[in-house]
Amino acid sequence: MDSYEIRLCGTGGQGLILAGRILADAVVREGRWVAQSQAFEPLSRGGVSQADLVISSSMVDFPLVSDLDFLLVLDELAVAGTHELLTPASSILLDSERVATDVLDACRPIRLPLVETARTLGNLRAANMVALGALVALTDVCQRDSLEAAMLRVSPKGFQQINQRAIEVGCGLGAESKQPA
Amino acid sequence: MPNATSASTQNGRRLVQGNAACAHAAVAAGCRFFAGYPITPSSEIAERLSGELPKAGGVFVQMEDEIASMGAVLGASLGGVKAMTATSGPGFSLKQEHIGYAGMAEIPCVVVNVMRGGPSTGLPTRPSQADVMQARWGTHGDHPIIVLTPASVQEIYEQTVRAFNLAEACRVPVVVLYDEVVGHLLETVTLPAPGTVALTARKAPPPNEAAFVPFADTPDGVPPMARFGDGNRIHTTGLVHGEDGFPTQAPEVIDRVMRRVLNKLDHHVELIESYETHAVDDAELVVVAYGITARAARRAVRLARDRGIKAGLFRPVTLWPFPERPLRDLAAHAKAILVPEMNAGQLCLEVERLCAAYGSVERLNRIDGEPIAPAAILQRLEQMG
Repeated sequence: MDSYEIRLCGTGGQGLILAGRILADAVVREGRWVAQSQAFEPLSRGGVSQADLVISSSMVDFPLVSDLDFLLVLDELAVAGTHELLTPASSILLDSERVATDVLDACRPIRLPLVETARTLGNLRAANMVALGALVALTDVCQRDSLEAAMLRVSPKGFQQINQRAIEVGCGLGAESKQPA
Repeated sequence: MPNATSASTQNGRRLVQGNAACAHAAVAAGCRFFAGYPITPSSEIAERLSGELPKAGGVFVQMEDEIASMGAVLGASLGGVKAMTATSGPGFSLKQEHIGYAGMAEIPCVVVNVMRGGPSTGLPTRPSQADVMQARWGTHGDHPIIVLTPASVQEIYEQTVRAFNLAEACRVPVVVLYDEVVGHLLETVTLPAPGTVALTARKAPPPNEAAFVPFADTPDGVPPMARFGDGNRIHTTGLVHGEDGFPTQAPEVIDRVMRRVLNKLDHHVELIESYETHAVDDAELVVVAYGITARAARRAVRLARDRGIKAGLFRPVTLWPFPERPLRDLAAHAKAILVPEMNAGQLCLEVERLCAAYGSVERLNRIDGEPIAPAAILQRLEQMG
């Protein structure tokens, strides 16, 4: 199978569905096919929220994820629904502040201060973009340029400057964590 | 969902959300009136059309409720405008009264139902396929209706266009029925260029024709439809009416008119019937599935074939009237049929009616708000094989 499966999850209000939308847009612009789905709860804030992507070099047959290649978790609440989608080859990125549980430790997750970085940048809601920056540095999903261009097309005008900075810092965090120990 | 449609890439492919594709298709199909009341998971259709319809010279109205929305759609259509509404389960229930009126008065209209879990408020943000029978039999009395069920974002676009064409050709309400998964799915699609979509015009009588009989029989069972204001004398009612449009209680007239109304779709089977098959030529196990479940089934069939199981897929695109003959032909050569659905068992009843004489019909149902995975269908095929 030539597909690549990603889940971005956390709680409602963290901008995960917007992040999925931006990442999907970046990948389509690079010429690949994407199916992006989501799940959320009927709450204005909170509850589990997730955005899934299936990326392929040809038309996607079944558009929902089944074996994740990459999992991002921004809130511990979302961990429970991910176990059956993980394989020994799955890469996992956890927020070091919001995900305290060790249940995924067997999968050797990377822990990065995504939320804390966003707070330092001046807006907690940019944690989703810090995470996307880290994801792009850690994987070959798309080029950073494509991600930034997609962010500028999709995200609200008032957030573009901080989102740009968040992607940049996130990329740095991802690249550092990729260095061999 | 901000900006649920991306700009086109160099190769003409775009990332589009299912509900956004529905809205764009409606405009391309010539829809110029939408009345509705927002409801998850269909709201993006209304949201998008509130911006797109005025730009196309059309009208968008957010009504006070679903009952009034459906009434407004019928009024617009009687005025000669292609009209639609969009909703989900609870709203679909409320629209049923006027969907029946559209059937009786033969008013073309399109109703989109993006299915969520039910009954009642149910699971507003989670998918189901539990309105299959409501789409066919939701309103009271015998009535004609067409139901189309797309399985991808690309197909939502195509089937929404087709819904308008069928509504105009047959003077019936047409339901576009899909689950929350494909409604909220963003997929890479190639949409036709504006103005290149083939459209069906409503059959109209010459204006000011003194001898016009509004509900007279025709060779294809569909009378021409006069537009209010064009000078033809017409009377519209939900009461059973004679060829002149006025209420009647004469049994021979009732029988004649109602048989025409109920049988008119039979004249248009080639236009209405649509389905897709995959790997069915030598299939011993046939999966009958629609919507997102059909895409899980397609993968399951491929994986089953890899394991030496002779499985195939029959996917109705037109759900009602159900493509009876093509499925019967397949069933006659199969050992067993499997019907996976995100409900407690609805389309399986139709499949059992059609195919029980040929072999066993098995069910696979999921009602927990989660879609059926390819692995679950594969597992059943392995047990059946």
